[in-house]
Amino acid sequence: MNSKYIRNFSIIAHIDHGKSTLADRMLEITNTVPKRAMKDRLLDDMELERERGITIKARSVTIHHDKDGQTYQLNLIDTPGHVDFSYEVEKSMQACEGAILLVDASQGVEAQTVANAILAMDAKLAVIPVLNKTDLAHSRPDEVCEEIENSLAIEATDAVRISAKTGENVEQVLDRIVDEVPAPSGNEDGPLRALIFDAVYDEYRGVIVHLRIVDGSLSKRDRVRMMSIGKVYETTEIGHFAPQMVPCESLHVGEVGYFISNIKALGDVRVGDTVTMHKGADVEALPGYREPQHMVFADFYPTNPGDYEVMRDALEALCLSDSSLTFEAVSSDALGFGYRCGFLGLLHMEIIEQRLEREYDLDLIQTAPSVTYEILTTNGEAKLIHSPGTLPNPDQYDELREPIARVSMLLPTEHIGPVLQISTDHRGTFVRQEHISPTRVQLVFDIPLAEIMYDFYDKLKSSTRGFGTLNYEVTGYRADNLVKLNILVASKEVDALSSIVHSSRADARGRAVLKKLRKEIPRHMFEVRLQAAVGSKILARESIAALRKDVTAKCYGGDISRKRKLLEKQKAGKRRMRQVGAVDIPQKAFLSVLGGDDK
Amino acid sequence: MPHPSVPAPGLAAPAPPEAPLPRAPAGTALYVHVPFCVVKCPYCDFFSVEAEGQDLSGTVAALLHEARARAPQAPKTVFIGGGTPSLLPEPLLVELFDGLDGLTGFRSSAVEVTAECNPESLDRDKARLLAQLGVTRLSVGVQSLNPDTLKFLGRAHEPEDALRALEAARGTDAAVGADMIYACPGQSVEDWEDELSRVLEFEPQHLSAYNLTIEEGTLFHVQRERGELMTAPEEVELACFERTREVAEAAGLGRYEISNYARPGHECQHNLTYWANGAYVGLGPGAVSKVGLARAGNPRSLAPYLRWVQNDEHATLWREQLDPLHRLGETWWLGLRRSAGVDPMEALLAAGLDGAVDDPAPGLAQELEQQGLLENVDGRWHLTDRGWPLADGVARKFLALGKQP
Ligand SMILES: Nc1nc2c(ncn2[C@@H]2O[C@H](COP(=O)(O)OP(=O)(O)O)[C@@H](O)[C@H]2O)c(=O)[nH]1
Ligand code: SF4
Ligand SMILES: [Mg+2]
Repeated sequence: MNSKYIRNFSIIAHIDHGKSTLADRMLEITNTVPKRAMKDRLLDDMELERERGITIKARSVTIHHDKDGQTYQLNLIDTPGHVDFSYEVEKSMQACEGAILLVDASQGVEAQTVANAILAMDAKLAVIPVLNKTDLAHSRPDEVCEEIENSLAIEATDAVRISAKTGENVEQVLDRIVDEVPAPSGNEDGPLRALIFDAVYDEYRGVIVHLRIVDGSLSKRDRVRMMSIGKVYETTEIGHFAPQMVPCESLHVGEVGYFISNIKALGDVRVGDTVTMHKGADVEALPGYREPQHMVFADFYPTNPGDYEVMRDALEALCLSDSSLTFEAVSSDALGFGYRCGFLGLLHMEIIEQRLEREYDLDLIQTAPSVTYEILTTNGEAKLIHSPGTLPNPDQYDELREPIARVSMLLPTEHIGPVLQISTDHRGTFVRQEHISPTRVQLVFDIPLAEIMYDFYDKLKSSTRGFGTLNYEVTGYRADNLVKLNILVASKEVDALSSIVHSSRADARGRAVLKKLRKEIPRHMFEVRLQAAVGSKILARESIAALRKDVTAKCYGGDISRKRKLLEKQKAGKRRMRQVGAVDIPQKAFLSVLGGDDK
Repeated sequence: MPHPSVPAPGLAAPAPPEAPLPRAPAGTALYVHVPFCVVKCPYCDFFSVEAEGQDLSGTVAALLHEARARAPQAPKTVFIGGGTPSLLPEPLLVELFDGLDGLTGFRSSAVEVTAECNPESLDRDKARLLAQLGVTRLSVGVQSLNPDTLKFLGRAHEPEDALRALEAARGTDAAVGADMIYACPGQSVEDWEDELSRVLEFEPQHLSAYNLTIEEGTLFHVQRERGELMTAPEEVELACFERTREVAEAAGLGRYEISNYARPGHECQHNLTYWANGAYVGLGPGAVSKVGLARAGNPRSLAPYLRWVQNDEHATLWREQLDPLHRLGETWWLGLRRSAGVDPMEALLAAGLDGAVDDPAPGLAQELEQQGLLENVDGRWHLTDRGWPLADGVARKFLALGKQP
């Protein structure tokens, strides 16, 4: 299709404002998906997405829309809304010229509305504001328009007012896309340049590369080169998403689609890379994606050490479609060999953990997530510390620095008091406060990332009756009075249980961690002593009393096989445990380090 | 009385799923399971059914039929268990014992012949008859002397019946054993000590004292899952366990297994074979046999047992043969239940491993010694005082020897 008639766009919004529902309606009214095959949130096909009702991966789909007697090809990319996945949002934006900014007309502008809109404006996309859920009685479209104008300086008086649920005015949104989103501007006849914006692995067909043609065109049987890797492949199939893969003969400038080439080496495909013709004119690579900022790290260890290799293959496959995940091999005294993984946030971490368990059937032990610290060594070098267990002794560094997040919170004005309180409780420093409408305020704080990682969001939610939202961006590192809190189990320091805490909190945290461990670690045939220490100073102690009675009363000839199986079944119940010294520590105990100091 | 459950003529019944174990060598221990009780006790996971309306004589005939094909010649020990063998009417007891003797010659070969008896079916005459038929040990299911506890346990007898039965057993040449249960809900250590002492006044040669255990598949298990049954707290269980030993030892009965006590020379030889992981042949529904390195079992159900034995002369439902290290772990687990403990070389042989293999068990035993659970006396490993009540934890470690990491 002539690129004049192509529009590439995405839908951006705060979570639950209705992106997936709007995408459903668009698929429906353009007859992309027959009505009988329609199901709610059609693009959310990952099992976890359906279960949690959130979008994790960006999806693309091609739809056709007629306007003024002309058929247009609209390529829609659905995006995730959670702050952890803003990297996915950024990626999808690079494949688009426009974005629909969807705002729930009763909730109003929320933190990710602002964050995603800013990303879109930075990417120079045409932003079309759309108010959703106007069918709800308590929707307040006029006020929300004002909020959009005040917080984002986007003209919103003519925002389309729709109901993604009933389909009202959705047609108008399609018209606005045709009118306001620029057609792709690439060079139709120039040498091929295509941006890889996603990739997934299919066991039978190899890597499926999702790309956007920026210049030129791509046909079946073309020999293409991945520019950063230098690998050459011949395309065996190319096609569009409708939203399932539909093969076609060629993809032209501005179009979004996929190619398959039986690629089995996962490392050959890099999201953000440029695809060009193998034997063609030299071209300049497209600007790739910025490196994602991994702020949360946790170690994964296979429960069964024999699964170490399986786990590596699984992580490689996950990295392919999720370029924001990183991993490297690590070893721990307590847990053996495993992988340290970097995540964008806690939800991201949880999703990866569950995908490893479900899609790859792995049993794993996970350490408590930790942020990345930085030390200034005594010889003046700055070094990143991804895991508290690897922090050297204090005499080897002059400064221990932690990442600071600039946290922006949007909330109803009446809840300012409690939110100021929790922000300072979490060692935050006030930056500014702005009213975006008579009833809503934006508060900005600098808060150590470690402080917002665990339950800050929950606290914000509960102190604003669910109306407060937040977004954050890590702005740098700052030195503070931080210490390493060691946990000793049966007098043995367990590296996987150590954490870095502010010295004023070490006492309370030490006690809280031991309390949780006491609950998680089962009774043993001996007393298990637990200690929390900073350096050689013991801050807290607990002990788990020895199990005193565990014996089968009756065992005769007819029972031996049955009783043996019973004993072995009880043993198997301990599968998700790791033995550290003589102590069995269950998976959940490793997460005890995480979290608040409250009782 | 209904007819034995024999398939209608002309209807081909499927054969037992497994081949029988090979015939056991002469001298192998023999167990015979009589699967009938007056009522089913809510805690019991042995296979037994209420006798009312069952074909007792047909079952005895089937036991003898199976014995013809599978019983060892000249068994060293015989154990007639159940169920409640003592509830069989006298003619059937005669038929069973005479029949077994005719097939195996046990009356001249066995050093020990046990019959399990329950108070409601053991009077003077029954006891005397059993002794005449060759029984050398009468094991009496007293369980408790407290009427409420007996009611809770769903037993078919009253305390007076238990006392009469003990008296009847004592009136024969056979040795007397009393079976008891402790740590019932609401029972204190003192209550238990009191009951135990009263039973020991009858001077039995043997005592089995079991902590009440809620086994899967029993009524008590269902009740506990529903929250309708609370078991005794750990401290009470432990205190009863310890007090049992003190009281029994004071009465001249030494502990030789976790739940078993005897005057010197009166330890149950038949049961010791189980704990030595030795060979035995079991006849009857639910009975298990071990011959060579393999174990096999009959169905825990009467109808298929009767049908299979009738048609095929055996009723082998399942068979197992464990890996060598797994067998070794099992041998240590069972062996450590005995006061005599385990000699590593003996264990290797019992597990069918040759003495030259690299034996992982002693290393593990040393590890457990450091935790104060095992001790080594003159080359044999024993549970320590602290280790006794933790025997299962120790067992799991030995059983894990057989598993590849
Ligand atoms: N009443 C009403 N509910 C809507 C509308 N659009 C979406 N929803 C509901 O809002 C919730 C979130 O929608 P979803 O599309 O999953 O949001 P996403 O997280 O932005 O993808 C779902 O329960 C939808 O049914 C609408 O126009 N009106
Ligand atoms: S009498 Fe003995 S075998 Fe019979 S049901 Fe009761 S406990 Fe079980
Ligand atoms: Mg969604």
